[in-house]
Amino acid sequence: MLPFIIRRFFHLIPTFIGATLLAFVISQLVPGDFLTQKALEPDVRPETIDRLRQQFGLDLPWPVQYGKWIWNIVRGDLGMSFDSNQPVINVVRRPIQNSMYLVILSIVLLYAVAIPLGVYSAVRQYSIGDQVVSVVSYFGLAIPNFFFAQVLILGIFVTRSWTREAFGFNELLLPVAQMTSSNYLDLSPLRKFLDILWHMLMPAFVVATAGMAGFTRVLRAQMLEVLGSDFIRTARAKGLGHQTVTYKHALRNAVIPFIAGIGGLLPGLIGGAGLVEVVVSWPGITPTFLQALSRQDIYVVLGLLVVSSILLMIGNLISDLLLAVVDPRIRYH
Amino acid sequence: MKRYLVTVTVLALASLALAEPFVWLNAWTTAAPGEAVYGGTFRDYDTSDPRTFNPFVSAEQNALLDLADTGGASLLTRGPDSDEWLPYAAESFTVSEDGLVVEVVLRDNIKWSDGTPVTVQDYLFRYQAETDPEVQSNGFDGWFIEDEPILLEQVGENGLRFTFPVADRTAFFKLAIHRPSPDHILGELYREGGAEALRGAWGTETPLSETVWTSPWIPTAYTPGERLVFERNPTFGEWNVDEQGNALPYLDTYTILLVESGDAALNLYLAGELDAFSPRTLDDIGVINVAVQNGDIDATVIENASPVASSQFIVFNWNKASDPVKEGLFRASEFRQAMSHLVDREAITELVYGGAASPMWTSVYQVYTFWVNEDTAKFGYDPEAATELLAGLGFDQKNADGVLTDGEGNALAITLATNAGNTQREQIAQIFADSARESGVDVEVQALDFNLLVDQLLSTGPDRPFDAILIGLRGGSRDWPFGASVVPCDGNLHMYNQDLDAGCLTSEEQEAEELYVQGRKTLDTQAAREIGLEIQRIEAELQPIIYTVSPNGHYSWLTSLRGEHPSEFVNAIVGSRELVLTFKAE
Repeated sequence: MLPFIIRRFFHLIPTFIGATLLAFVISQLVPGDFLTQKALEPDVRPETIDRLRQQFGLDLPWPVQYGKWIWNIVRGDLGMSFDSNQPVINVVRRPIQNSMYLVILSIVLLYAVAIPLGVYSAVRQYSIGDQVVSVVSYFGLAIPNFFFAQVLILGIFVTRSWTREAFGFNELLLPVAQMTSSNYLDLSPLRKFLDILWHMLMPAFVVATAGMAGFTRVLRAQMLEVLGSDFIRTARAKGLGHQTVTYKHALRNAVIPFIAGIGGLLPGLIGGAGLVEVVVSWPGITPTFLQALSRQDIYVVLGLLVVSSILLMIGNLISDLLLAVVDPRIRYH
Repeated sequence: MKRYLVTVTVLALASLALAEPFVWLNAWTTAAPGEAVYGGTFRDYDTSDPRTFNPFVSAEQNALLDLADTGGASLLTRGPDSDEWLPYAAESFTVSEDGLVVEVVLRDNIKWSDGTPVTVQDYLFRYQAETDPEVQSNGFDGWFIEDEPILLEQVGENGLRFTFPVADRTAFFKLAIHRPSPDHILGELYREGGAEALRGAWGTETPLSETVWTSPWIPTAYTPGERLVFERNPTFGEWNVDEQGNALPYLDTYTILLVESGDAALNLYLAGELDAFSPRTLDDIGVINVAVQNGDIDATVIENASPVASSQFIVFNWNKASDPVKEGLFRASEFRQAMSHLVDREAITELVYGGAASPMWTSVYQVYTFWVNEDTAKFGYDPEAATELLAGLGFDQKNADGVLTDGEGNALAITLATNAGNTQREQIAQIFADSARESGVDVEVQALDFNLLVDQLLSTGPDRPFDAILIGLRGGSRDWPFGASVVPCDGNLHMYNQDLDAGCLTSEEQEAEELYVQGRKTLDTQAAREIGLEIQRIEAELQPIIYTVSPNGHYSWLTSLRGEHPSEFVNAIVGSRELVLTFKAE
């Protein structure tokens, strides 16, 4: 297996250069640069703009800019953010971490809900429950996340009006924005953890619903296929209980394709939760990325692309290796 | 200038008697004398993170520096009720007869938040660092007038002397807002490691406890993307008091929640997590009013407080060598007056801003009421007058498509570009295009990427690549509201004419430029105003830039947040309150 890993690693190098070169060229095709917006400020002299352009190296031809940048990447330096005047790694580290919290909780929620639902749908095929699960999961798939989050926020506000009328309880059940409460800094470590968890529930639920539909449907199909196979009939004939057959034999086989997909989760972890983060003001990757794009802070954009393409490549590698572990038919030489 | 001297002498005499603290007037707040109470937190918000704690390298608005650095010991200050400068960190100031030399005497009771006294050296260090090109400070440009530097030196033990190369009323602002930088920390660093060390200091990774400030509250905690926390600076109250002699500020803590969008901020405000919110549109106000009616929050709403200092305008390109017909047309003031007649400012106000905007006629934003010339020519919405003016230019027939043509068969067709994604500008362009088409002017609206649009607008030479652009600017100042790069013919935002070799093309442009230069040199505010009125008269006749409307600003705050300005001083320039006089009702 080791030679395979080494070979795979060397294959990553051209992929990496290709991906970053493409990203760099596209970023150069966009008209203007980071300093164009500054030129419209009545108090900034053109000489200042020229000086800054020189300082940032934006006056150099793009192949030179790319060469310098990739050389820095090789040395582990993602470059400097124009906007914040500090290393890109400092700019992106925290958002990556914050997004990870959200994405991990949503994956946990996803598995915790989608696996039982998928199994239930397969075991009780065509029952009322199966139909309800299908309808609800298609709704989850169809509603855009950012919109669903808005609807939930509205729901939280409406609930407050209702609980106030009914019980005189004038507090929101869940926070509608931010990652922490305003008194966060005064809390004990345990309370801090719970505070973040409390703020995460709604956005994580929104993110989880989007993946739930697909996951449930695929697991249902997988389960149905496995449940119809001979060894399940054998197991039942042996007199094994329903639970044992379903969970110990059928489910274990049905989840193999999902294990292969775990590698794909790795870049997803730092890809962030998408526009939900903007709606609930979660200090994650998406807002950082959007802001860097709109300000043409290209090294932040490229830095995020680099980190996620590296994770994607590592993720694919892990997937391949995991497949070899779970599927006896695959061997690497 | 005389007025300065009188004020200054009075204040200087007062300060000689006692090293008195600066007094924040009762007239600046609605709170009754003695009503304010100590304690509490102001929970504010901002939509972008501070990018640095370093006051020298900060390139833009930054919530931390706005409060901690800009809010610190500037030499002079202004109340919300007047444009006059008051001595602040300076105990007094004197201006020489010709206005070129200003001497200030510093208070002796200002301290950094670590207890170190603020001295002349701190002000000198900031000057030295800002004027060092290697430091690349954003403050660099302001220290030069016509490429000549403003000089700053120490006089006596406690005094500073500013020497201006020429008299310039905008330069006085530079003096007024000049503030100290800690010589005992950053100055030390600069002397040891040079400009590079200074540039690298106080990044956002720096522990805030290592930074020092002179502001009412000092930053104590920063969590990126979440919040900035400021706590009372005890040294501030030693030289800042209210009229009753109470040390300021009243509030213990000032928190800025960092939110990703205005929508998220509005949600937090409705949830009662923020004490104030700046409604962006009348929709926001509607939502807040409903929440108030429902009893969700107890809030005050000030709708249409004043126009804000920004504008939307149309500019025609005078440099179109490749199309002499259009060039001739765009250079004719009758044509541009006709176009102004086709701008339905009322419709724009109603349809684009839901009623929350004010028409604009010259480059001076309506909010600078002192400077606005109300008596200029106004070419308001009047399609018939437009038709007449266009007929006077030879466009008196309509072709088969209903487009006006001249005797040689040239049809009146214009491309109006604006930036894609700015819905307000796109709507304004469309409203203009619709009414223009009705009058036989074929206006095609083109939505371009913002940077492409700016590239076109800032292009130079005899043949520039656009017909007309709809865009906006913001800014201006209470001292001299005209743009240094907008009015003079060689300014890079002299957007209609950028043929640098040709210079000014009309005598009116030339005259406006001369008046601009003269106005800047006029230190007497009344006399400068007269000149400003004259510039606006020319602008209104010439219509080099066709102004449309200036959106209105709105305010809202939870009623428990007290100490706001009396309603006549709530506007986009001075805001809704003095933070220092703000308090939380119990």
